[in-house]
Amino acid sequence: MTGAHVEPLLSVDVSVRYADKPPVLRDLKVELQRGEVLGLVGQSGSGKSTLAMTILGLLDKKQCHIEGAINFQGSDLLQLSERQLRALRGRTIALVLQSPLSALNPALKIRTQLKEAWRAHASGSPADCLLKIRSALQNVSLPSDDGFLRKYPSQMSVGQAQRVLIAMAILHRPGLLIADEATSALDVITQSEILSLFRELNRSTGMAILYISHDLASVAGICDRIAILHQGAIVECGTTQQIFDNPYHEYTQKLIAALPRIRSVPPASKILSASAT
Amino acid sequence: MSLGQRLACAVLVLVLGASFAANWLAPAGYARQYRDATDAPPSHTHWLGTDELGRDRFARVLYGTRISLLLAPAAALLSTLLAALIGGFAGYAGGAWKRAAMAITDLFLSLPWLFLLITARALLPLNVSPVVSVVVTFLLLGVLGWSSAARVLCASASSLRSSDFVRQARAAGIHGRRLFWMHVLPNLKPVLFAQFWISIPVFILSEANLGILGLGVAEPMPSWGSLLKELEGLVSVGEEPWRLVPLILLVIVVTSFQIVISNQEEVAA
Repeated sequence: MTGAHVEPLLSVDVSVRYADKPPVLRDLKVELQRGEVLGLVGQSGSGKSTLAMTILGLLDKKQCHIEGAINFQGSDLLQLSERQLRALRGRTIALVLQSPLSALNPALKIRTQLKEAWRAHASGSPADCLLKIRSALQNVSLPSDDGFLRKYPSQMSVGQAQRVLIAMAILHRPGLLIADEATSALDVITQSEILSLFRELNRSTGMAILYISHDLASVAGICDRIAILHQGAIVECGTTQQIFDNPYHEYTQKLIAALPRIRSVPPASKILSASAT
Repeated sequence: MSLGQRLACAVLVLVLGASFAANWLAPAGYARQYRDATDAPPSHTHWLGTDELGRDRFARVLYGTRISLLLAPAAALLSTLLAALIGGFAGYAGGAWKRAAMAITDLFLSLPWLFLLITARALLPLNVSPVVSVVVTFLLLGVLGWSSAARVLCASASSLRSSDFVRQARAAGIHGRRLFWMHVLPNLKPVLFAQFWISIPVFILSEANLGILGLGVAEPMPSWGSLLKELEGLVSVGEEPWRLVPLILLVIVVTSFQIVISNQEEVAA
């Protein structure tokens, strides 16, 4: 895991339970270092998104009971007021959701959406705002001209929409980016491009990434460490190499065994000659 | 848009156009009295005859149509805005706000709406100027007619509240009124438009009901309600069929609106 003398950027030790239901997260413990990319892998319903929402303080506290502590940059997020949490959301902790076309407001132009995200934490002239927006779009390899800014989400490809969401997330240079199944809705080529983009942003800005996914293969591509979430608890956590080479928990072994493998395919000439005879 | 809806639109445009051209089509105006020709049948000079005060009925129908067709959309706009604020905000805020707003809405919905209108209008002074009576009627219709639209908008806003883009906006630090105005309200537009269109024929009929009872637009200003009031003294339909023109026009316009808004409902759905 991590060295005891280094204070982690994020330290989670939390249980979450909805009223009259079994706990969604059970004494979940995980740490994330500054500049690190941590993969959180688990099947659907294992509590991955609940963890993301708990960190951001977006769970409805009237409907669920949260116990424990989430330490981020020296303060316990669970003890912060709604006002203090709002000041953190988008500025120091950003979120990128799974489905880009539903995560972007269909009624607003891209310029308006990015401007709104900027205005939530910064004041300044419209020119400053536009400059930051263009810079963020360039960082995610998107055009930053007026024509693009005038587009609605429905006028973009899924890959472009996901990049816009990432641009929105990095506008304020957050210390932590939570990517909640951020590549699950993408085709493999776009998925690979977005993963490279995450890695590049992590390298260039030093931003830590909590990369939540059910897809172990995509996590392996960018993460320094991987935590395996099963039935609301972390059952195994280690470096990507350790998890793939020497998984000790039964569930991790199942996950790795379930990864698709490419069978050896005979050359086309052999297939053709076999079918001729 | 189907052929029926196109025809309905054409009828509405024609009626609205004619009412706005009333100054040219009936230059004498709605209040001028022809004392030598009271209660006259249709003629070359008075196409729909005159009323018992000798006023040209054709002019009064045109000007009355204009007032009713302006009053109803204005009241619909006011009630839709109120519904958006009350219902939309209740759905967005949820919790106690939603429960309180929906309790008030249910109370309004359970009241006999027409009797409430009549009572409210009767409580206000009757000897007011025609212009004030138009404003009072418009305000009454708008202020009392928001409840059913508020319920629809509350349900729509509730579903938007848990949408991904609202969650994403909240995760970006956007909150409170800004989240409502910038992220929720623009997405309620299709429902708002549909509710606006649906309210128009309802308010046309409500104004007509008030007018028949003498609680609508004050004399000498005409409206469909006050023109329908003339039918009170009609003994035989066959004798003076031209007096039914306001009623026929009302049925045609309300039916046309219903045909047009069926398309709006599809858009909202």
